[in-house]
Amino acid sequence: MIEFIAHNLAPIMFLSLIAFLLLGYPVAFSLAANGLLFFWIAVELSPYSNDIRLSWPLLQTLPIRVLDVMRNDTLLAIPFFTFMGIILEKSGMAEDLLDTVGQLFGPIRGGLAYAVILVGALLAATTGVVAASVIAMGLISLPIMLRYGYDRPLATGVIAASGTLAQIIPPSLVLIVLADQLGRSVGDMYAGALIPGLILTGLYCLYVFVVSILRPAKVPALPAEVRTLGGGVMSLIVALLVGAIIAFAANYLLQDRIENGAAIWAATIAVALVYFAAVLDKLLGVGVLSRLAQQVIIVLIPPLALIFLVLGTIFLGIATPTEGGAMGATGALVLAFAKRRLDFKTMSDALEATTRLACFVMFILIGSRIFSLTFYGINGHIWVEELFTALPGGEWGFLIAVNILVFVLGCFIDFFEIAFIVIPLLAPVAVKFGIDLVWFGVILGVNMQTSFLTPPFGFALFYMRSVAPAAAWFDKVSSRTIAGVSTLQIYRGAVAFIILQCIMIVVVLLFPRLSIPDAGPAIDPSTIEIELPPLGGEGEGQPELPPLDFGQPPEINPQ
Amino acid sequence: MQPLLAVSRVIDAVTGFIGHHIRWLILAAVLVSTTNAIIRKLFDISSNAWLELQWYLFGALFMLAAAYVLQRNGHVRIDVVSGRLAERTRQWIDLFCHILMLLPLVLVMISLGIPFVIESYQSQEISTNAGGLIIWPSKLFILLGFFLLLFQAVSEIIKRIGFLTGALKEPEPEPTHGITPEDLGVHGGPQK
Repeated sequence: MIEFIAHNLAPIMFLSLIAFLLLGYPVAFSLAANGLLFFWIAVELSPYSNDIRLSWPLLQTLPIRVLDVMRNDTLLAIPFFTFMGIILEKSGMAEDLLDTVGQLFGPIRGGLAYAVILVGALLAATTGVVAASVIAMGLISLPIMLRYGYDRPLATGVIAASGTLAQIIPPSLVLIVLADQLGRSVGDMYAGALIPGLILTGLYCLYVFVVSILRPAKVPALPAEVRTLGGGVMSLIVALLVGAIIAFAANYLLQDRIENGAAIWAATIAVALVYFAAVLDKLLGVGVLSRLAQQVIIVLIPPLALIFLVLGTIFLGIATPTEGGAMGATGALVLAFAKRRLDFKTMSDALEATTRLACFVMFILIGSRIFSLTFYGINGHIWVEELFTALPGGEWGFLIAVNILVFVLGCFIDFFEIAFIVIPLLAPVAVKFGIDLVWFGVILGVNMQTSFLTPPFGFALFYMRSVAPAAAWFDKVSSRTIAGVSTLQIYRGAVAFIILQCIMIVVVLLFPRLSIPDAGPAIDPSTIEIELPPLGGEGEGQPELPPLDFGQPPEINPQ
Repeated sequence: MQPLLAVSRVIDAVTGFIGHHIRWLILAAVLVSTTNAIIRKLFDISSNAWLELQWYLFGALFMLAAAYVLQRNGHVRIDVVSGRLAERTRQWIDLFCHILMLLPLVLVMISLGIPFVIESYQSQEISTNAGGLIIWPSKLFILLGFFLLLFQAVSEIIKRIGFLTGALKEPEPEPTHGITPEDLGVHGGPQK
């Protein structure tokens, strides 16, 4: 009996972890306690099995593991982007965007839905917080969509799904965590996810377009009286053309003087000029531009500038993702302050929410590091590897199995838990199969995005529920009573987008080029890295550590 | 029971006080990191001490805030099963897990952490990065964090017992999961 337990300790440990987690006790402490419990069991059983490579002195490495979590510069980006997301939400940027873009697209069928998708993508490119996007868009767009007779499931579905774009379009939190867990640079991960994220946005729009052709009643155009900014799309097109000409001219002039990124600088100059022209036009009341064009330009430029500040600097290699996050957060503070939306309480509340999120995330990571010390010490990773290599179909069998596994897990738990518990177990197997880890990460990123949409535990649906009117309410604008939105309608609305999501997973699987272009990584991490590698271990008398780390290069076989 | 509950209230007050003020470290980290990036780009100088300060601040934040987050019920749980259980059952589970999981964990970490900090302090260990910061304070944050967690665990155990015996009326705060609508100033229902 004891021999049987000793030889099968890894599966037993894993099953008991599942049992621990299902108790509903905080994940971080369950992971850590499970690790400690099985450390003790494993040391007691070590005479019975060669697989167990643990002894009491190894326990002393635990504080170092915690210190390593602390020193992790990459994960510092998590609080930065979270804080930025909350501040931006409070600055009312989403409201302005939705209002203006909604008016721009309002005249066409499905216009509000397109506006939601595009604003969702814009918000996603500035921050990585799904909650903020879904809540902001749910509060602003949903009542309007309901007022003008949008199909309810479609309206809630498109808002929830567009909010989850924050998960896949850089700078997203999940890509940071995946980069950390897969041992790849965040910049590579961002570059890999950018095109799939944009294609997904396109897929959402395509879906709305198909609905507007087949079932036009589901996505009516806005009546003329709602469009307070009036027409004048022509003026906007002219302004954009002028901007484009300036950009080309600037690019031509700068090409020889700046080594890299001339195009980006040229675009920045053009955007800035158009923006100032619009602001001047508005202030002086010259009326060169139509009111619509003015408003669109003035509202769209600040978020675009923020996107440049964050993503542009990261992709150009000017800043690390962590610094990009910090600059983005500072930019958001400036923006909120300029709009007089920033007071002490707003700031304190935003910091509190950020503290809670950052703290639970980092503690899950600490828990998973304590778990991994034991799990790897009893050759758990070898057990997982054998489990997956035994699957038929080799690389494809593995990829399909992993996607199904992550999809099903995503229905019940959210991406932080999956990323910290499951991904580190899968990464070494992926390496064995020769799978590119950036590509692997992007596939998993798209997959985990669905975990926000799958009933009954999809968080985007929770957020949607919390902002959608459950009971009938009297709408002052249209002077009539509008029925509430039922939870079932919210669930039904998500289905189409879950299917789109699955299509996207298949697309990324079939076309790895989308995330790993031949050109190689967009940024060479060696140009940003400044810190020297730490010299050797810390302190003395530390026992030799086999490669137990989740984050360690998995190609080393400890046998 | 009442004296114990009083102890719990004192612990909660201290934890709450720390949680209330520690959050500003994020703002400090944001500003330090922004300044680092700009100065490096503009003047092509960078200081390892300032770079290390970023993670120092963040490390201090999440270690020292852990007890506060526990008090606010902010450590994520998987509530697939437990969400269907009765309130009392969940309180029993929490009580047992606080005693059997959390207490041993923090005690192990504290007993390992004390020599870890003392050794580093005595050798005045300095970061291996050129011009880096001294290391022992960061290790001290780890130790302090687990000490605070120990006290908070005791307080939580007292509160759970108090609730189960009926001596304490108010229930545990609702579990939070990341950013909630309330954090964004939303309290359900249409706003406009």
